[in-house]
Amino acid sequence: MIEIQDLTVRIGATEILKDLNLTINANNWTCFVGPNGAGKTTLLKSILGSQPYAGSLKDEGVEVFNNHDRNVAFVPQHPQIPVGMSVTEYVMLGRAKRDGWGTESKESRALVVDTLKLTGLYGMQNQFITRLSGGEMQRALIARALVQQPELILLDEPTSALDLHHQISVLNKIEILKERDVTIISTMHDITLAAMYADQIVVMKQGRILRSGPSDIVVHSEQLKEAFENRINVFTLDSGRSVILPNK
Amino acid sequence: MLVKKRGKQELRSIWDWRITAVAAFLLVIIGLLGISFGPINLAFDQIFKTILGLPNGLTEQERSVLIDLRLPRVLLAALVGGALATSGAVYQTVFRNPLADPYLLGAASGAGLGATIAITNAHGNLYGLLPVFAFCGAILAVLVGFFISGKFFAEPNSLLLSGIAVGSFATAIQTYLQQRHSASLRPVYSWILGELTAASWRVVAWSSIYIFIALAILFAISKQLDGLALTDEEAYSLGVNPNQIRVIAVIAATLATATAVAASGLIGFVGIVVPHLVRGVSHRVTNRALPTIALVGAGFLVLADLGARTLLSPAELPIGVITAFVGAPFFLVVLRRKRLVNQ
Repeated sequence: MIEIQDLTVRIGATEILKDLNLTINANNWTCFVGPNGAGKTTLLKSILGSQPYAGSLKDEGVEVFNNHDRNVAFVPQHPQIPVGMSVTEYVMLGRAKRDGWGTESKESRALVVDTLKLTGLYGMQNQFITRLSGGEMQRALIARALVQQPELILLDEPTSALDLHHQISVLNKIEILKERDVTIISTMHDITLAAMYADQIVVMKQGRILRSGPSDIVVHSEQLKEAFENRINVFTLDSGRSVILPNK
Repeated sequence: MLVKKRGKQELRSIWDWRITAVAAFLLVIIGLLGISFGPINLAFDQIFKTILGLPNGLTEQERSVLIDLRLPRVLLAALVGGALATSGAVYQTVFRNPLADPYLLGAASGAGLGATIAITNAHGNLYGLLPVFAFCGAILAVLVGFFISGKFFAEPNSLLLSGIAVGSFATAIQTYLQQRHSASLRPVYSWILGELTAASWRVVAWSSIYIFIALAILFAISKQLDGLALTDEEAYSLGVNPNQIRVIAVIAATLATATAVAASGLIGFVGIVVPHLVRGVSHRVTNRALPTIALVGAGFLVLADLGARTLLSPAELPIGVITAFVGAPFFLVVLRRKRLVNQ
């Protein structure tokens, strides 16, 4: 469980996050939604522990900033793609912490092979990572996060670069993690997809949390519309699924 | 053919230590050639006999060539080559810039200014202190760049830019000093082209201390350096503290570079060619290659020095001429092959 109390983050003179209070349940998928500049990515980085903050942000009762004992996977929206690195080397980086940055263990090699097969990258393991398509790159990122065997995975817009087919395929792979007792926290622009996959949705705007709660309740809330300045419509299909479309 | 084979392979290991073994073996062979050949050739069997204390070894004069001239010179070349190649590889990783070389942060210009001050000094008794001046100049230039940039943590490339600015400034002062003392032009110029002629056991002793310390630090963090190829958040999640690793890496690499420059002047191309050569041949970019890069750098410079001593014997070529003359075309071949594989 992650408990956030009075969390404030300043970068330079700007307050990116203002006095946030939030509880995130373990083994759940929580999704941050909101317009650009709402502070979603900064909140993710704070939970990762790499972003200095004021207030309190505890993961299982321990303050997260600069705490390297946790095993948290991070999938960035804009990864730095290393030139000349093969898919294997890239995915194997996820094992670095466990293998103590030594030579990779047999276990790691077996796990990487399994994960490459799971993510459909097996067969291109010796290709340069720079040559992958957007969808393949996203799967490589997910594969690296999977071999990390994290307790918590943070994903920044995991589907933004993908077509509809690949969006679903990537999200399904992330969903597998829930069966492995991994806590998932992501940001997502597509609120329809967020409502489909996430258990909990947090609506953010200008560094504040407007609303948080179970997905099916939050998508119908006034605060979600407010976050997008009433420019969205929420429909419910016969199947009970919610669809969010922009107003023209 | 190479491409085909790579596509079908099972999972490759991140680093193949057999490559390191080959590099070490080659270094030994090249080292033996280095102490054997020169204006006076020493036979291998006689060298071994002398070292093992057996009869029929080298004559007294040959012994003195071996111990007072050849051995320190070969050792110094190996040390300097290893230091420059490793620092180059580390700078390339830290700044994510394949063109980064050990002299990029102003170390070269700082050392050049320090050396020029030692050479042009009116009292003329500072020549013996040239290595000290060069060493301090190199470290100072990088430090000044570091403090001017001020935002190394947020943006590593800002250090690169301020390093270039500090370097230009130091070069300007150096040029001014040279104009004022035109007699100094030749010694300064020959120092800039790099020379191992001053190699002695004393130089080997002090430079090996600094270089071994610097390389030990860099080898110890070599695996974590791989994390710097990613964004800071990704590196952090993989267990690397990117800011800490960057600072340690830059300090250690600068120490190695400053020592190399102080001991032997500016020897170009080693720091760029060797890392790319090792990475190109092994098809791996991991920094686990650092010890191998050091071994190949050492071998490369010993070989270049052998060329410098023997090609126009008994005259000597500046070693910087050899490294560039051999290094540049070699480099192009590697780059071209790499591009073919990349396509």
